[in-house]
Amino acid sequence: MSYAWGRNEKIAMTTTKTMWANHLIRFGRLAKLIAIAVVAIALLAPRDSVCADSAPNVVLNTGKAGPRSVESPTERVILRDYKFAWANLEQAMESSSTAPLSGLFVGTANAWLTDAVASQRRNGLSSRYLNQNHKVDAVFYAPEGDMIELDDTADYDLQILDGDKTVHNEHVVVHYVVLMTPAADRWVIRQLQAVPQF
Amino acid sequence: MSSSINTVWKGHNLRRVLEHGTLAFLVGVLCLAAPAPAQDTDLRAPSSAVAGNAASIATTGSGTGTFYLVGPSIAVKREVTLGQDVQLSEKELQSAGTYLAIVCSGNCRSVGFFVAPAKPVNLTFLVHPSRAPVGQTNMVSGVALLFDEFRNLVLVPATVDFQLTAAGTAPATHRVATQNGVAWFHTNSGRSAGALQITASVNDVATRRVVQQVASDPCSLRIKGQRNAKGFIVETEPVRDCTGNPMPDGTIVTFTAKDSQGTGTVDAPIKKGIARAQMMGSGPVAISAASGVVMGNELRLGAQ
Repeated sequence: MSYAWGRNEKIAMTTTKTMWANHLIRFGRLAKLIAIAVVAIALLAPRDSVCADSAPNVVLNTGKAGPRSVESPTERVILRDYKFAWANLEQAMESSSTAPLSGLFVGTANAWLTDAVASQRRNGLSSRYLNQNHKVDAVFYAPEGDMIELDDTADYDLQILDGDKTVHNEHVVVHYVVLMTPAADRWVIRQLQAVPQF
Repeated sequence: MSSSINTVWKGHNLRRVLEHGTLAFLVGVLCLAAPAPAQDTDLRAPSSAVAGNAASIATTGSGTGTFYLVGPSIAVKREVTLGQDVQLSEKELQSAGTYLAIVCSGNCRSVGFFVAPAKPVNLTFLVHPSRAPVGQTNMVSGVALLFDEFRNLVLVPATVDFQLTAAGTAPATHRVATQNGVAWFHTNSGRSAGALQITASVNDVATRRVVQQVASDPCSLRIKGQRNAKGFIVETEPVRDCTGNPMPDGTIVTFTAKDSQGTGTVDAPIKKGIARAQMMGSGPVAISAASGVVMGNELRLGAQ
């Protein structure tokens, strides 16, 4: 059976198709907008740290330190170097490279982190410490000013990756006991040890 | 008709819009959904792990899986049989802190646990200063930190005995409980120059340091002098601090001579308790001496 369209029928059909096309184009644009919004939310949402990162946020309180009180310039330098150390730790663990650790970690802290990075690299693993927040209290400052002990309540998004595959992703709260000593032009971390609680 | 439909439906643009929209939508959904591995409790962590001691992690299920252990100084990956315990060696648990055990078989499950420090076998003992003037308040201080054999800071409270021993005096002992793994003391320096031995001990672990107590500032300075062929020679009487300790060699005494030509100074180090200087000049001269904050008597010598 054949069917012959007249001119008016063709125009009517064309008009209908145009309307559908416009609807679909609008739908496509809407879908695109929704998708952009979803991606933007995914980028900005704190739980999805795949796409998010920032420098460590460190708050240092030296009011409880003793027996020596912490001088303001010392406090500023400790805050600067502790923050810098964590940024470098994050970088070292993510890139499985020990280079960022040198100069900021010494002694036991350096040995532990170097071993951790080396074993990560050996096994094709990497880890990420994202969205770090550190609430740090100085609890002991030696009489001669040659050692300070910090209690750090840190929270961050911890990701463990095997190659490109994320095998663990969790927001964690970790308590660290930290020993820092002055070096030539900075304070360095000698001990960075997690504890169950303070 | 075909070209008409293509024109009307704007096929190319439509496909592009739909493809981009759908693709972006899928990317967004995947981005939200991907990093959310399961967090079941199919692993049972050791309840009280201690650094340097082997432990095991119980698993459930069957078949094989990939096991990961991430700790303060280690990252391990190995294949394991599910349903059996995963053995962790002494070496894998040497560092105290938080550990994360993960098993992946299809999806991933994890459990965290804590490894405590072992018993203290090392005592880090910082003492200041290495040389301390006698008779000073809170001049000597010490800080002790306890570590186990794997260099983990031991935070369990312990009592540290600080024993101070100097020649000619009875030993003094300070007992201090550690707080946050640290014990410290400060004390006055003694009255006599000489070695002050300080020992910090916990149970059978002890560390010794020595502080050299030296004379404090000179108490008085007396000088004497006489003419000679080159001019005049001046010297101090034996220089001591206020508790009678001789000043250490190398302490500088500054002699100042004033005559009609002007003023001249000579810095002379103390040797065996006495500082001595040869100065030039033939006319009447007034000589004085100083060391630190102490001024000596003025000595006048007539013309040659």
